[in-house]
Amino acid sequence: MQFPGMGRPQVGFIIDADLGNSIDDVLALALLYGLEGKNECRVVATVTSKSNFQSAALFEVIGRFYAGAVSAAFAAVGRTLPVGMTGNGKSSPSTPILDAPLARKTPENTPLYVHGIESFNDTADPLAVLRNALTAQHDQNAIVFLAGPATNLAKMLELPGAVDLVAAKVRYLVVSAGRFGAGDNDPQIVADIPAAQKLFANWPTPVIAAGAELSSFAPFPGALVDPNFAWSKAHPVLDAYLAAGKMPYDAPTTAMHAALYAARPKADLYKLSSSGTITVDANGRTAFTPAANGKHNYLIADPAQAETITKIFVELASAKPVPRQPRFRRPQADVDAAKPKPEPAKPYPPKP
Amino acid sequence: MITRKALPRRTFLRGLGAAVGLPFLDAMAPALSAAPKAPVRMAFVYVPNGIDMRHWNPEWEGPMQELPRILKPLEQFKSDITLFGNLTHNNGRALLDGAGDHGRCCGAYLTGVQPRKSAVDIKVGISCDQIVANEIGHLTRFPSLEVGLEDARQAGDCDSGYSCAYTNNLAWRSEKQPLPPVLDPRALFERLFGTGANLTPEERARQTKFRRSILDFVSEDTKRLQLNLGPTDKRKLDEYLSSIREIERQLQKAETDNAQVDPGMPKPYGVPADFAEHFRLMTNMITVAFQADMTRVLTFLVTREGTSRPYREIGIPDGHHPLTHHRNDPALMEKVAQINTYHTTQLAGWFEKLKSTKEGDGSLLDNSMIVYGAGLSDGNRHTHEDLPTLIAGRAGGAFKGGRRIVYRKETPMCNLFLTMMDRMGVHAEHFGDSTGRVDGLNLS
Repeated sequence: MQFPGMGRPQVGFIIDADLGNSIDDVLALALLYGLEGKNECRVVATVTSKSNFQSAALFEVIGRFYAGAVSAAFAAVGRTLPVGMTGNGKSSPSTPILDAPLARKTPENTPLYVHGIESFNDTADPLAVLRNALTAQHDQNAIVFLAGPATNLAKMLELPGAVDLVAAKVRYLVVSAGRFGAGDNDPQIVADIPAAQKLFANWPTPVIAAGAELSSFAPFPGALVDPNFAWSKAHPVLDAYLAAGKMPYDAPTTAMHAALYAARPKADLYKLSSSGTITVDANGRTAFTPAANGKHNYLIADPAQAETITKIFVELASAKPVPRQPRFRRPQADVDAAKPKPEPAKPYPPKP
Repeated sequence: MITRKALPRRTFLRGLGAAVGLPFLDAMAPALSAAPKAPVRMAFVYVPNGIDMRHWNPEWEGPMQELPRILKPLEQFKSDITLFGNLTHNNGRALLDGAGDHGRCCGAYLTGVQPRKSAVDIKVGISCDQIVANEIGHLTRFPSLEVGLEDARQAGDCDSGYSCAYTNNLAWRSEKQPLPPVLDPRALFERLFGTGANLTPEERARQTKFRRSILDFVSEDTKRLQLNLGPTDKRKLDEYLSSIREIERQLQKAETDNAQVDPGMPKPYGVPADFAEHFRLMTNMITVAFQADMTRVLTFLVTREGTSRPYREIGIPDGHHPLTHHRNDPALMEKVAQINTYHTTQLAGWFEKLKSTKEGDGSLLDNSMIVYGAGLSDGNRHTHEDLPTLIAGRAGGAFKGGRRIVYRKETPMCNLFLTMMDRMGVHAEHFGDSTGRVDGLNLS
């Protein structure tokens, strides 16, 4: 909730990802929560385009993890955003990234990571989540982050007034999808080609794409996982990482690049293509056509920044949760300090 | 070929300064034609300050099981009711407008639009009842009826900068024009049955003085009509006219009671002092209005949003609104639950009347769809999701009833209203912040 007359809060991230299909989405989510802990942004909506309760559940688990303190029983309470989920009538298969953290138990054999998603109706209508989150943001104070098929965003654009709403509220859309160079077509685009075509054609704000060619640039170093996540006995991101491959392995980072650029666009960590237009052909191949008035760009790796980026990735993705303070309530210590000190009692009657 | 001229659907019994509509009679259908289809009525009954959701939401979904405490009074209508879960009004939320949830939730309830935060320059949207009334209102004497039970001002600031127009009205004819509810039973009665405009002040005084029934004024017309009716229609007409007479008797009693209860206080003429009696009187008249097809669209603001009305009649002298900010005090929460249950008890009385009123092969309730709900769920925290909502009636056989349907979180309430508008024959592409229509409600 935001209140007028109290200044604009940090930029709000609206996240739409097929969480569970690739570890870099999980790491990107951790990175954004890490940035939220540093008060650089806010995560204001989460939507999964993977039609699987487990995916929505992991979104909620990670959100709860970063919302509050971690106890031995991981009973973190705090804000829980409704998690939107694509409901196409078919459940997409679960993955070890989802299964591993959600299967963890306490010594009492209860789920270690608490979440409230047990059925389809515990997830939210993704279009309403996306649209409603936008209505609650100040103008030009939202960033939409897409790491997965464009299904939800393309449909959301079809809601009445949605294009104008997006134009008013969103600074830019950052897309972790496509390929801008040689290689196979990106499966994230291929998963829903018509949606991707609509999204690039109709999205009204600037779009910055991080293509699959960035996947191996500045990978997340597997050797640094254990030492950096060791502060917590129970960390859902770590559990997902360990389940996603045979350790030690370096994780792909396309979504992390997209997230980092989105949050710190002026940090000169990446090169940016010229302006142009991204299109998607019938086979799901993305193409970039330079155009002076184009609204699209794509990220280009800058090898000179690889080491810096890796350090930032590790620092942010493994950051400890910082429970969010009520924004407009001063810390109690400050309130107490500001109170006038009581004067010491004077003897009565006063001495002459 | 057998033909018979049917009695027009909009026949009135007329007399001096009075016109009484008629219920649907067999004589109104042409001979040998297919059985006439009764019209569907759409109504919205709104209660303020949210509802104690601990005693509203059951743990089950699907076919009806044991009803929670607040819904218990509706037990006998289990098969006529559909309960909903997770319906949300995003535009009731603060978004960027700060405090004022009571003003916003009521203004947004039937409009689906976030009200402009102003005590003077009001703006919201056309409410769904009025969209329907605009389309089908020409078919009935009144395009819509707006009723309520609590007197309230229409101007000024009623909630953190929100105009009283938002908290005290449900129906909006245009973005800037609310339709204030009729509160006085006498005024509603005269609006429905008496062409008061034709009466001189002297005639009105004379009518009041001698307490003549409005039926006396139309007795000649009634006799003429009865000559042409079959036995079923005669019985139906008798029952109908008796119910009007009963309302008149209640009105007179209410006015007499008022004088006895509080002779020294200026009270609105004709408004019963007792909440339950007021509720019963108004809903009796609504029933007759539905029965006579005087209108098919109703909004009923039980009490104004944010009201601090006490309920001394059930032993609760505290204001309703302050009670809902109970800070989890069990004693205060108990009182809120009692008020909520008291409301549904009155509602059950109305449903009973509707169900016992036969129409075609079913009842008036069968041919209605009556939304009962609130613009807040938890009145303590001012939440706008999972709003307490039920529909009574089967919309003329379209709705299954007897179930609880839990939708996905954040499902817009406007999706339900859009689906209801369809049933009224008004097919809009979207309404308010709808993202589509709701599933599971229809038989098909």
